Amino acid sequence: MGDEQHRWAMVVDLRKCIGCQACTVACTMENVVPPGKFRTIVSSYEIQLEGETRNMVLPRLCNHCENPPCIPVCPVQATYQRNDGIVLVDNERCVGCSYCVQACPYDARFINPKTNTADKCTFCVHRVEAGLLPACVETCVGGARIFGDLKNPQSEVTKLISKHSTRGLRPEMKTRPQVYYIGLDDRISGKVEGTASLWNLQAAMGKENKS
Amino acid sequence: MSTESNIIELINVSYEVTWIAWGVQYFFLIALSYGAFLLTMPYFVFGKVQFEKMARLALLVAITCGIAAPIALISDLHQPARFYNFYLYFTPGSWMSWGAFFLPIYVALLMVYAWLIYRPAMLQQAKDQTSLVARLSTWLAFGGVYAPGAIKKIGLLTLVAATLVALYTGAEVAIVAARPLWHTPIMPLLFVVTGVSGAAGLSLILNSLLAGNNLMVNQQLSNVLVNSFGLTLLLLFIWYINGVTGFTSSGMVLQRLVTEYSPTSFTLLWLVFFTITPLLLAVFKSQSTAWVVGLLTVAGAWLFRWSMFIDGQRIPKTGAGFYNYSLPLGSEGLLGILSTLGLWVFLLLLITHFLPWQGEKQNSAV
Repeated sequence: MGDEQHRWAMVVDLRKCIGCQACTVACTMENVVPPGKFRTIVSSYEIQLEGETRNMVLPRLCNHCENPPCIPVCPVQATYQRNDGIVLVDNERCVGCSYCVQACPYDARFINPKTNTADKCTFCVHRVEAGLLPACVETCVGGARIFGDLKNPQSEVTKLISKHSTRGLRPEMKTRPQVYYIGLDDRISGKVEGTASLWNLQAAMGKENKS
Repeated sequence: MSTESNIIELINVSYEVTWIAWGVQYFFLIALSYGAFLLTMPYFVFGKVQFEKMARLALLVAITCGIAAPIALISDLHQPARFYNFYLYFTPGSWMSWGAFFLPIYVALLMVYAWLIYRPAMLQQAKDQTSLVARLSTWLAFGGVYAPGAIKKIGLLTLVAATLVALYTGAEVAIVAARPLWHTPIMPLLFVVTGVSGAAGLSLILNSLLAGNNLMVNQQLSNVLVNSFGLTLLLLFIWYINGVTGFTSSGMVLQRLVTEYSPTSFTLLWLVFFTITPLLLAVFKSQSTAWVVGLLTVAGAWLFRWSMFIDGQRIPKTGAGFYNYSLPLGSEGLLGILSTLGLWVFLLLLITHFLPWQGEKQNSAV
């Protein structure tokens, strides 16, 4: 499945992201993601830099890795990669064993409580196949999310990657992620060490994840 | 480390534990089963008569846990009714896929092994009775011949299957690079040694409950425990030292789990009360405390898995801090744990009631 002529990828220009979560909302609406679950989210941090306190944001989504660790572990081949690089889950075959959820180093996967199967960002494959952009890209206020074809030398993603020094998340995992960040800070590119968000507490008190 | 950090996470997601209590139950029960199977071998496979009573108790543990384990495993799936997909889409690159074959082969061989062992006594218990159970027993005994050669052959085949089960259950966890705590070759070894401990512990409890606290059995099982606990502590020491010296990231996460993420939780509790205490008691081989040693050991084998799986999933992959977890009361949590326990008790009652697990009676009525 998917056309080998393409290799879909995303560039996230962190200089342009304002952390408004419009992408989070658009994704949730487009893909009917259940409450409390996210296919994409903009992680936000307050961080001290040279005596100055600043905000930092990091839109997270499935990296549609070139070497995806979620695929080989799947015991029933329900998760697979298309020829155009998009990693998908066949939720009619998935047994919900969560092995892929464990194997993803990016927390990009979750068990959808409505389908009881693994769920994740699809790069909005249904829109891409119709010639549209992923919902998060379409809605991005600052134009921070750029989607395109790495096999097309004229595409904006190809140009941006050749022009800027881009980085993926957690390169030590050797997954070759295909979401490229411009302006990614080391301190938030891996496991973030810091004070955890209050979301944790609310979830424990049962105020989240209840639909 | 993290407390000194100058980063505050404002918005992020707290990711749920997805290998839930059922998974812990599976890894616990299957390790007890193959651990107990190993304890049956000295007598049934190698013919060391002094181990007969221990072997018969261990066989009870092996079969009861071996039957209950796959049920817990299927319940850990979020789509349990689709388990047949494991057989429609074999995936050689996935340890879990191999497990779908190793596990039923092991359980089936174990059942054949137990049947070969119980056969003569099944025929004997059916004599002079006309009840339905007696008729069924006669039929199932299939002539009731005691075939030590066949037991040995099947026993060795079961050993191969048990090894494959131990290998796959350990490897499927140890290969997960995204969870550094699990990503160590020490994990499969710890599963095995704590499995053997748990099996010996449960056999000690059964010895007290069903076999009149046989003194020789207590001694033999205590010897097993001293060795398996010694190995457990050695493996833990190596793992932890790897962390302290910064040699492996897995060891470093273990160190943080104990000192930072969850210092008061099961991790330390387990070490002190459920590993070192029974070890000391086993060394002294006190007959009256044998069942206490058994209980602590079984709890230890379970808590180790709980700590690794549940606490292991509470360590964020990308986020900050340590996720909260509260045990759900329903089937995803407490009820799941209780129901596997209930299933195990039911199986034990069923088997000890209907099967002559103690072997043929020596002075049967003539």
